[in-house]
Amino acid sequence: MSSDTQRLLHDVRNPLNNISVNAELGKLTLERTGDLDKAIEIFARIVQECRRCDELLTQLRQQVSADQPSPDATTGDNA
Amino acid sequence: MKQILLVDDDLGFLQATTELLELLQHTVVSASTVAEAQKVAAGRSFDHVILDLIMPDGSGLHVLESIKNRDQTRVTLVTGHPSVKSIVKNLYGPNISYLIKPIDLEQLQRLLEDEHEPGEANPALHFGHLVGESASMHKLYQMIERVSQTKANVLLMGESGVGKEVVAAAIHAASKPRGAFVPANCGAFARDLISSELFGHEKGAFTGATHRKAGVFELAQEGTLFLDEITEMPIDQQPNLLRALETQKVTRLGGTNTIDIDCRVVSATNRSETDIAEQGYLREDLYFRLAVFPIHIPPLRQRSDDIPVLIEYFLADFNRQYKANVTIDAKDLARLQAYDWPGNVRELRHAIHRAFIMADAKTQQLVLPDDLSSPFSKVGDSKSVGITVGKTVEDVERELIESTLQHLAGDKKKAAEMLGVSLKTLYNRLNSYSEQQPR
Repeated sequence: MSSDTQRLLHDVRNPLNNISVNAELGKLTLERTGDLDKAIEIFARIVQECRRCDELLTQLRQQVSADQPSPDATTGDNA
Repeated sequence: MKQILLVDDDLGFLQATTELLELLQHTVVSASTVAEAQKVAAGRSFDHVILDLIMPDGSGLHVLESIKNRDQTRVTLVTGHPSVKSIVKNLYGPNISYLIKPIDLEQLQRLLEDEHEPGEANPALHFGHLVGESASMHKLYQMIERVSQTKANVLLMGESGVGKEVVAAAIHAASKPRGAFVPANCGAFARDLISSELFGHEKGAFTGATHRKAGVFELAQEGTLFLDEITEMPIDQQPNLLRALETQKVTRLGGTNTIDIDCRVVSATNRSETDIAEQGYLREDLYFRLAVFPIHIPPLRQRSDDIPVLIEYFLADFNRQYKANVTIDAKDLARLQAYDWPGNVRELRHAIHRAFIMADAKTQQLVLPDDLSSPFSKVGDSKSVGITVGKTVEDVERELIESTLQHLAGDKKKAAEMLGVSLKTLYNRLNSYSEQQPR
């Protein structure tokens, strides 16, 4: 696995973590304060973090493809 | 409520976690760089520091150098991978906790609830909270064990400082509930806000109610609600509490919907059952709802055998906090064991803390003050006892017997031993007093 792939695998945990913390925050906000405006703001953050997660997963897929050797390289001149 | 320093370069995480911790009633100072954290933390004390280990401008651990009470601060590292845990443990020792991404509420609550050793649980503690091996404490453990298997409400009775909240926490731990332990002091509630504190309120329910707020009954859902100083609750507010206990439902102030409640209520008082009944501190119907299972916590003077283990426990705690190795001299231990501790375990802990601060640097031993007595000591109560001109020998003897019995909570056998008379003689004296005019 290349270092870029490792970095992307590490980075994808950050938006995932923010989705988790914001989801807990939204749940607790509604349970304890019932503040709908705050809850809407928190849901918007979750959507934004989902987009960030998607971008990183796209980059990760491209990187994994780039890491894999091409069919020519594996079969070499014997094909 | 804890003072928390949160340091992470991910601004989204920093904002959401700060808000989450504040909603959990903690005070949070946040920073997104090591330099900013060092600036905001300089000279301040924190109960807990939650850090990202690798920050753009250096290691998060540099922040710890700026904190005032570093030895008493718990440190938690936020990490994306569990394997980092073992590497860091080797580098920085075992006194560091970890939050593994993605972080959820349960992880955060567990981290902040666990006030004791971050490592192994202390095996000397019963139910994770109680210290003592005396017969009276073992009787208490047996009662906790029994009641923990039920949902019965418990009323804890005992003098100030015996550790009623600690026993409540032990009952909570022994019950292994899904919910939280929620302590509330009925004596500290503002009179106008008691209902709001207990049952919560809706937004706009009264001036200043800017948000909906959950009451302590809701917060303790599936857990334990500890109502300390229950006898300080105004009598006119008690029917509301009674109704909640009877119906197992609450309605937030200004609200229309009822909320089902499901928690054990452990209440506590330092008043005696006689006082509660005779002085009318609690309505009778509320007393029976709260005291389904009453537990009397013994005062420390009735379990003086536990004083050495309590001292050992407190010393180990202070030694760990201050990274010291202070011990106690056998003579001092005997002195502490002979004292009557009117302020109970709280007073003993305070005395050990003071002696720890005064400890001899050379011998590494506790240094006790010349006079252990506090303004609340029984010594003060017994000032009128003794020989003064004009008193008869019979008066002095009677005062001595009555004071000894009071000191030993009415235990006649022990009193006879302490006075150096036979049990029969003691009974004869007491019978003769009862025939005389009451004093």
